[in-house]
Amino acid sequence: MKVLIRYLVLFAGLVFVVALTLAAFGLDIVQSMNYLWRGAAGDSVAIGRTLVRATPLTLAGLGIVVAWRAGMYNIGGEGQYVLGGIGGAIVAKLLIGIAPGVLSILIIFAGAGFGALLGAFAGWLQVKRGVQVVISTILMNFLALLLLEWSLRGPLQESKGQTFVSESLPNVVMLMRPDRQSDLHVGVFVALLAVIAVWVLLKFTPAGFRLRVVGESASAARASKIDVGKTQIRAMALSGGLCGLAGVIDYVGLTGRLADGFAQNWGFIAIPVALLGGLNPWGTLVSATYFGGLFAGSEVLKRFTPIGNSLVPAVQGLAVLAFVGLNYWLNKRSEAKNGSD
Amino acid sequence: MVSNADSGPLLAVQSVSKAYGSVQALREISAEFFSGEVHAVLGENGAGKSTLMGMIGGFVVPDNGVLVFDGSELPVGKPFEVRGTGIRMVHQHFMLVPQLTVRENFALAQLEGGVRRLDADRLAQDAVEIGQKLGWEVDLDARAGELQVGAQQRVEILKALAGEARVLILDEPTAVLSPAEVDELFGVLRALTSQGVAVLLIAHKLSEVMAVADRVTVLRRGEFVASCLIGETNRDQLAEWMVGEMPEPPEIRDREFGEVVVRGEGIRAKDDRGVEVVCGIDLEVRAGEILGVGGVDGNGQVELAEVLAGVRMFSGQLEGIDEVGYIPQDRQSDGLALGMSIEENMLLGSMPKEVFSGIFVLPGKVRNRAHQLIEEFQIKFGSAGDSAGSLSGGNQQKIVAARTLSQKPRVVVAVNPTRGLDLKATDYVHSRLLQAADEGAAVFLFSTDLDELAALADRTVYMDRGRFTEEFLVGSK
Repeated sequence: MKVLIRYLVLFAGLVFVVALTLAAFGLDIVQSMNYLWRGAAGDSVAIGRTLVRATPLTLAGLGIVVAWRAGMYNIGGEGQYVLGGIGGAIVAKLLIGIAPGVLSILIIFAGAGFGALLGAFAGWLQVKRGVQVVISTILMNFLALLLLEWSLRGPLQESKGQTFVSESLPNVVMLMRPDRQSDLHVGVFVALLAVIAVWVLLKFTPAGFRLRVVGESASAARASKIDVGKTQIRAMALSGGLCGLAGVIDYVGLTGRLADGFAQNWGFIAIPVALLGGLNPWGTLVSATYFGGLFAGSEVLKRFTPIGNSLVPAVQGLAVLAFVGLNYWLNKRSEAKNGSD
Repeated sequence: MVSNADSGPLLAVQSVSKAYGSVQALREISAEFFSGEVHAVLGENGAGKSTLMGMIGGFVVPDNGVLVFDGSELPVGKPFEVRGTGIRMVHQHFMLVPQLTVRENFALAQLEGGVRRLDADRLAQDAVEIGQKLGWEVDLDARAGELQVGAQQRVEILKALAGEARVLILDEPTAVLSPAEVDELFGVLRALTSQGVAVLLIAHKLSEVMAVADRVTVLRRGEFVASCLIGETNRDQLAEWMVGEMPEPPEIRDREFGEVVVRGEGIRAKDDRGVEVVCGIDLEVRAGEILGVGGVDGNGQVELAEVLAGVRMFSGQLEGIDEVGYIPQDRQSDGLALGMSIEENMLLGSMPKEVFSGIFVLPGKVRNRAHQLIEEFQIKFGSAGDSAGSLSGGNQQKIVAARTLSQKPRVVVAVNPTRGLDLKATDYVHSRLLQAADEGAAVFLFSTDLDELAALADRTVYMDRGRFTEEFLVGSK
């Protein structure tokens, strides 16, 4: 019950932050909130749009959750997302022509695998070579983006060689879309399954328990004979895998091809999403949906107002600050109630 | 003893109170401190000693009551002004900058604002001279962080004495020192009182209080219990004042030991920096035997304990450590994951098979196990879902002891298991260790507390620079 109240307070705070931002941009709050709402949840197309935006945020957000809960501050969601897309495109190029359903699945596995390798490498660098994950993953983001640019001008470029994009996937390989009117694809369910899987992993398995102990206190983990380094590398592999999955699901579900602008910062935005979700899988789902809705809504909003794309990052920044502030305030209140030593 | 008791107190605390939330840390405490005396403030954990000292030092603002120093009221909540009056504090956790040299640390304490050339020599001079007067050698160019703990404390004390110190407050200064270092410290405290300084000593070890204090004030759960000259009281009475009742002394045991459980030869191990700190140790411990390992902190005890617990690499021969229950030295960093729940912390350590056998850790099993242990070991807490960090030190240690000993391991390795615990909690941990030995475990007890070793160990060895130095049977001391 307490938790519920807490989330309600936080949600009210977030709505307030959006209103504040709209006001700061000089917009009519009621009217633009209405646009936002219509764009995010007004009809089934809008809801589909929200869910499609929320999918990569959920998956990459889960990736951040897994790494951060293990004490590995993975900032490399963006690079892992990109590498996921690249891995998928490589498999698509090599195996095009085999049964489409099988190809789709192989593409997805390849994307997750590529992301996992990148994550595991960053983890390995920290554990074995003392290179902080925060640093290495930031640099790997640049590497991955450059690799994408290069491959779109080289091995992965479409066969006509006219533009810097990869070959479009044939429709049969793309993920199923229940409604042709909407972008909604079955990748949404992959994200949902991933939430459940990560939740079960963290909460109900020995491996997840070890992971959390390592994140809470590496020294306590060591004293309990947990192999801290191995756990951290595994957490980074899983984290990278989830971020890679986010990328490849967008590739095989939404875009169908890679371009220079493929990543759209989903891997970065996943970090505040995970933090606002309290580094908890379900919380991440909620906050990813919230931001998915914000993205979807602002796409409609910008058709009617001059605000452009700046709303979402502004809201996001403010929301993170507001979240930190609200959390501080709520904690302080409960502390004052319970008393301290 | 150059007591100035006749000329009135130098510092008087007059019915001060302090509450943190619903917890009354201090209630209407009054006490008088005289120049030229070592005044011990005695009490168990949570008695309010540190709060009282923090108040005098200006770090804690009292809810009511006044502090009178040298005839005038002391400013409250203003540590810098208090320091300026000559009241100096040496905190339990040292406040040195580890990267700076000793000289620079001295200088830092005397530093004033403004942009001028830093003349560390001049600023450090007073502290250096006091050190010479006291006969303390300190390496001025050594980095503070690289000094031994005892040496760091000397630096901290000299830093506090520089300028004109009239009251010196020491918060549990002996917790980190070897017996020889404790004697040396007490010598210095006496020298200081002979110069008219009032020394306030926070303590919870009776033997030390009896050895050095001129006067003693006892607090219990935030309340004033008694205050008198040390000659007017005795150990038993002080203990009674502290806890309200005397704990039963552990019985001297007379038991047969079983077969050899742990046997090691030529054990060597490195610390985290790669320096060899365990340098060839042979050992043999039998079932039912408690081997005490004493010595000054930092002579390889922790590393040897970690080798025995199976969490540190080593070279040499070592048999019989497959099934070890480990009570690490630092319960807050090594023993517990403070952010996780009490229930989950019950699973740390040995990762019990009945919970961890399957693919899933079932919450029901976790809860059952936690409640069983909580009941058996009488751990006090709000809710089992609360974080381990919300518990008192004694109850935290009970969690570690409970989950370790309930598994009935064949070997127990405990490192300073009662450090920082009050008498009752200490007594409790001791009785559990004895019980484990009685049930046939081979117990390694690493401790810097000689009383503890004497009370529990069947045999005690000392560790000095990575080796065992002497061995004697209990009682032969």
